[in-house]
Amino acid sequence: MTTLTLLRAVARKQALLLVRYPLNTVSQVFGLYVFFLLLFYGGQAVGGAAFDESLGGLVVGFFLFTMAVVAYAGLSWDVTREAQWGTLEQLFMSPHGFGRVFAVKVVVNVLFSLLWGGLILGLMLLTTGRTLVVDLFTVVPLALLTLASAVGVGFVFGGLALVYKRIENVFSLVQFAFVGLIAAPLGQYPFLRWLPLAQGSSLLGRAMREGVRLWEFEPSALAVLSGTAVAYLLVGYVLFGLASRRARRLGVLGHY
Amino acid sequence: MQPPGADEGTAATSAGAEPPEAVDGAATDGDAATRPHLDSGAAAVSVRNLTKTYGDDVRAVDGVSFDVEPGTVVGLLGPNGAGKTTLIKSVLGLVLPDAGAVDIDGVDVYADTREAYRHVGAMLEGARNVYWRLTVRENLRFFAALGDVDPAKARERGEELLDRLDLQEKADTPVNDLSRGMKQKTALACTLSRGVPVVFLDEPTLGLDVESSLSLRRELRRLAEDESTTVVLSSHDMGVIETVCDRVVVLSEGRVVADDSVAALKALFRTQRYRVVVDGRIDDRLDARLRREYEVIRSEPVGDTTHLELAVESGRELHAALGAVLDAGHEVASVDAADPDFEEVFLRLTERDAAPVTDAPVGDDPEGGADAANGADTGVRPGSGANSGADVGADR
Repeated sequence: MTTLTLLRAVARKQALLLVRYPLNTVSQVFGLYVFFLLLFYGGQAVGGAAFDESLGGLVVGFFLFTMAVVAYAGLSWDVTREAQWGTLEQLFMSPHGFGRVFAVKVVVNVLFSLLWGGLILGLMLLTTGRTLVVDLFTVVPLALLTLASAVGVGFVFGGLALVYKRIENVFSLVQFAFVGLIAAPLGQYPFLRWLPLAQGSSLLGRAMREGVRLWEFEPSALAVLSGTAVAYLLVGYVLFGLASRRARRLGVLGHY
Repeated sequence: MQPPGADEGTAATSAGAEPPEAVDGAATDGDAATRPHLDSGAAAVSVRNLTKTYGDDVRAVDGVSFDVEPGTVVGLLGPNGAGKTTLIKSVLGLVLPDAGAVDIDGVDVYADTREAYRHVGAMLEGARNVYWRLTVRENLRFFAALGDVDPAKARERGEELLDRLDLQEKADTPVNDLSRGMKQKTALACTLSRGVPVVFLDEPTLGLDVESSLSLRRELRRLAEDESTTVVLSSHDMGVIETVCDRVVVLSEGRVVADDSVAALKALFRTQRYRVVVDGRIDDRLDARLRREYEVIRSEPVGDTTHLELAVESGRELHAALGAVLDAGHEVASVDAADPDFEEVFLRLTERDAAPVTDAPVGDDPEGGADAANGADTGVRPGSGANSGADVGADR
């Protein structure tokens, strides 16, 4: 119950900031949309008919990329910004526990990422004139499990930010790595499915392009997705805890 | 789910901790009436042998020990780099010390960090401790939720704090649009919104104008007197220390060099300096003799009198100096203990090579002069760091 109160408070704060600074919010979504437009029209100009065949994959991939970036970067940036604002130590001093406070922030980030992902998806479908299967009972669980691994990576980099502070450039590099993971050729290199986002991206693509329902996937495929989700999340969370301890040992928790 | 290591304690750092008194831990919300509190007699904050070293040789906190009684305001005073902030952060568990133990409201901070945070709040970076994009009221609600305060009680307490800190008019203004003083007040209100019995404030009046500073001082006293809140604050502002604090812990180079009330510390030095008014103007010969044999801080003719200020090491020395004046045929009109301001006391306490101030008693009893002035052990340690660290102020 008390965690629910915290969740409400964090979500409310996040929503207030979004509403209070609409230009900032709109420009972020608009920026992503413009990026998609460049890919779409650029791809059409260069690839022609061949590009049209892979358009569904691009839309799904971009949808996932949008959500992954919001979920992953939200956490890493939160650490940096809170330290910058002087509020990080206040978060640490919560009786809820530092880890739980950040876990709640992650949940809120993921919820918001679904919102932005959905919005961008709508805009992309309108722009391309394509239709995709968006069965919420399939897409939402798959998206959440896929994002869990991105969040795990976010925890790792959030932890690094606690100790090493100014690592924003690395955050950006990881975002580029996400593009590669989302587009990973799993058929050619099956081992890639164990990396973050890769398996989820593949399943989400099949679900949205081919209309495969959640229960129609091979159990082994879902097991890999669930396993990677839990493993990355857990490892990230543990490393985040260790990093916060290291930051306290070094006396740099609130530094920026 | 809590990440391993995020709030766990170090067994090593708890070594030597005295068993805390039992606490009434049933209530965990922010209501002052129901908040957890200590059994009478237990210290609100108990710090034992706290040591923190950065790198190989920077000993920021060096074997610091002190207790803070519930409902009192204690000042941490020290020059820049004395270790005040590291000490506060170590006490709060934000910095992990190399050794030592801290109990807040009877809870071991390193062994049960989350529980400890139900008992303590802190304003560490003044106005920077709040979200500037949120309004004052939104900040209050957020920090109350962060402190696990029941939402209904948080609202009630928030409104009360807005009234009390004169923030009601600006309650729905984003913090970013407030003056520095108002921002600082908002940060204090957010700290208090958690309804904790112990608060730590690092430089709470830094950058405030006189009016805001005075208002904050009044509020801090009120907190201690009316709500029995224990306040530990660090400040460079001697006015704050003198007017707000019941007791002062003076730090120098990471060590406690004094631990007593402002009055006692001032009295300690006052007893060593005297203003003597001599009838008539003293001649050069007497002046030279006094300067040769005693420490004359000031000697100047004022009308038909001469005003002397002498620093003496004992009452006997004062009597001898006065004897010299009488022998020269002058009358002594008055002798007053000079009352140093607290800034001077502070400077003397933190002088790196200061002579052990407790070794300079005044009065006929060479061992008892300081006591005669203070009525008790002053708890002062030499500025050169004679604090052995084990139990400075521990039994106070």
